[in-house]
Amino acid sequence: MADRHSKALHPYIPELQKLLRKGEIGRREFLRTATVLGVSAGAAYAMAGTGAVKRAQAATEEPKFGGNLRCSMNVKEITDPATYDWSEKGNVARHVIEPLVRISHENIAEPYLAERWEASEDLKTWTFYLRKGVKWSNGDDFTADDVIYNFNRWLDPKTGSSNQGRFNSMTTTVDTGKKDDDGKPVMSTVAAEGVLEKVDDHTVRFNLVIPDLSLPESMADYPALIVHRRFEEEGGDFAKNPVGTGPFALTDFAVGEKAVFAKRDAPWWGGDVYLDQITYIDHGDDMAAQLAALASDQVDCNYRTSIEQVETHRAIPNLTVYDTLTAQCGVARMRVTEKPFDNKLLRQAIQACVDNEEVLRIVYQGRGAVGEDHHVAPIHPEYADLPRLKQDYDLAKKLLAEAGYPDGIKLTIDCVANPTWEQNACKALREMCLPAGIDIAINVMPGGTYWDRWMSTPFGFTSWTHRALGTQVLNLAYRSGVAWNETDYSNPEFDKLLDKAGGILDPEQRKVVMADIEKILQDDAIISQSSWRSVFITANDRVKNIYVQPAEEHHYNKVWMS
Amino acid sequence: MVLFIFRRLGAMVLTMLVVSVMLFLLLELTPGNVATKVLGPYSSEEQRNLWLEANGYFEPLWYRYVTWLGSFVTGDFGESIRFKVPVADVLWPRLWNTAILGFWTFALMIPLSLVLGVLAGMREGSKLDRSISVTSIVTTSIPEFASAVFLTAIFVFWLGWLPGTSTMTSGFDWRQLVLPVMVLVLYDFGYVARMTRASMAEVMTAPYIRTAVLKGLPYRRVIMRHALRNALIAPFTVITLQINWLLSGVIVVEFFFAYKGFGALLLEASLNQDIFLIEACAMVAVFVATATQTIADLGYTYLNPRIRFS
Repeated sequence: MADRHSKALHPYIPELQKLLRKGEIGRREFLRTATVLGVSAGAAYAMAGTGAVKRAQAATEEPKFGGNLRCSMNVKEITDPATYDWSEKGNVARHVIEPLVRISHENIAEPYLAERWEASEDLKTWTFYLRKGVKWSNGDDFTADDVIYNFNRWLDPKTGSSNQGRFNSMTTTVDTGKKDDDGKPVMSTVAAEGVLEKVDDHTVRFNLVIPDLSLPESMADYPALIVHRRFEEEGGDFAKNPVGTGPFALTDFAVGEKAVFAKRDAPWWGGDVYLDQITYIDHGDDMAAQLAALASDQVDCNYRTSIEQVETHRAIPNLTVYDTLTAQCGVARMRVTEKPFDNKLLRQAIQACVDNEEVLRIVYQGRGAVGEDHHVAPIHPEYADLPRLKQDYDLAKKLLAEAGYPDGIKLTIDCVANPTWEQNACKALREMCLPAGIDIAINVMPGGTYWDRWMSTPFGFTSWTHRALGTQVLNLAYRSGVAWNETDYSNPEFDKLLDKAGGILDPEQRKVVMADIEKILQDDAIISQSSWRSVFITANDRVKNIYVQPAEEHHYNKVWMS
Repeated sequence: MVLFIFRRLGAMVLTMLVVSVMLFLLLELTPGNVATKVLGPYSSEEQRNLWLEANGYFEPLWYRYVTWLGSFVTGDFGESIRFKVPVADVLWPRLWNTAILGFWTFALMIPLSLVLGVLAGMREGSKLDRSISVTSIVTTSIPEFASAVFLTAIFVFWLGWLPGTSTMTSGFDWRQLVLPVMVLVLYDFGYVARMTRASMAEVMTAPYIRTAVLKGLPYRRVIMRHALRNALIAPFTVITLQINWLLSGVIVVEFFFAYKGFGALLLEASLNQDIFLIEACAMVAVFVATATQTIADLGYTYLNPRIRFS
């Protein structure tokens, strides 16, 4: 397989294989880089010498057809896939519409609606070969037009999609000709000229403005599900008109109550699908209701088992708790354009108060990895190890005095009520800051309320989902002016280094740049991030081939029930 | 009597109008917030202003209120921010679900509490009276969230007889209704039983009952023919007012059992600041409150000839 595609192989692949053999890069790093550069997952595993892709449960039994998989999860509105901001929304839609690339439960980019892809040596030209013979549920063929339609929509500022930041390698900033109240020109971010190129009906070429190594991974994120090319023409409401390429059809949907899917009669491009039906049931925010539903066999699995409930779920017969370490985390982030957080010394004083390892232990029973205030996780391939941050109250007091608060300061942090570990993290932060004279009041609010103000609150505790690469999340959250930049952080030097890191293939060389990037974020102290957490799900033992995907995506196409 | 009914209805409408003004001022006085809620945090100042203008938010306050009231009365409650559908589409089914829950709660609670109340009140201070009274006080003083956990522990986790949640996802299932109804009945029957008992005990000390007993009527007949008629007037009012309690009382129960009713909807609407949904839910609650009060007043007047108007 590898030989057959050798012509299309990126020139860096042999070098990568050499590094793997020498033991200079790990297996996971090799698999990731190789698959990103267009080697199929199977071929990459073969090169790495580990055989076929392993599932969470070895497929020793013959899969059985039929059954209705019932899953407890919040059912949110799903009107426009381009503006999804919750992985639960993506989970509902994913059974009907699909991404070009999918992140496996091993954190590797797998070809999905895109059969394979190639990158030019400078990582600025990417060619995606789309799967042929894929049909939409309305009978149309899936073609390059669909893909180009979706990208145009995502990059249009009017859509308000977070994909615009995700694919910043495809956009430029232009002057709209208008002036704001201060007389400054109003700038707008739009798709760059000629960035999307239809080569033929099943080939799309992306001519990027800057090199972007994370392009395939970005295409796997939950707002990047591909809708039909007439999505807006036909009403622009996915809940009402769920046309898709996936193996299931949405048959019943009510926000806050349920989402029901039935297997489509038409064959699916991915082969056999075992389940006849998938039913999501919304049990609200009460963890006890979810537990009661699992225990009384009203559902077969859930979206997430909270850390406090893991042991309780384990104690119930017929239930198994699955887990995986992720790059999911919570950040106590400070908005650098709001007083008093525009004062870097104050932010650094807060940072000096926190013992991240201790927070992980108190808040998350130590199940995860220690955070370092720079939002790049040890499981990210480009992670660079920096010296550990130390709790230092003398330094904190000194910084606080220099910041102009010698007698201490009172602050308020906003955080969500559920999941409770987020509140607990804020409580730990509060306790650790008190001795230095920083008195943080905690403003606990329901999720809905917090997520309406997460961008604007001066000091808030925001949870971030898993992303396969560190640079992905940095591009989304800390690059100047992007949609999800909740800290309002704007640092040209940081942006420049981020561009640079996106263009370096060699994981070792990239780490050198990443070290600088991580250091900048750490020194600017815009976030206090104590941990990376493991996530858990619970499933009845009759559910087979189920696993936790690090971004909590539901891949139920190959799940079956015994 | 007709004049009395009209006066009561007039008072009811007036109360609702006053509440609606307060509600409107509370939620819609700052139009900027409304636009942010509707268009979401990513919307620009320009988009919000366009939306406000298109939806008439730059009109004078009294004009906006009258328009709002006008569409409200004709059943147009606006669109829910959280559910992305017209408020009426979520409100009525949810209210119906709560009505089902309420119906079964009342169907069990009323006979149970009346029988127990009458039995206890018949012979004040007897062993039966004491045991019924103690049971009523104990069950009424345990809040719903505690009894819900307790009953779930027994019937779901220990015995495994009943389903733990009541989402009714695949249609109506009476088994899912058992626990929520049980919790509500357990909490409420004690109160009604106590009121019935007090009323019954009072009647039993009345001279006409003593006369009836002394002239040798069978005890059974004294109770059925003479005592009950008067003793049940007070419980009627109490029971009617329980409808009002139920509407807010179900919030805890519906949340705990994930039952998709009005209480859970009200909670969800408030937690998510779904303005139009909160307005509609609040008005429904006010309507139920004033309507039950009016019915209780009218019924009481009808049942009790001593205060009946001519």
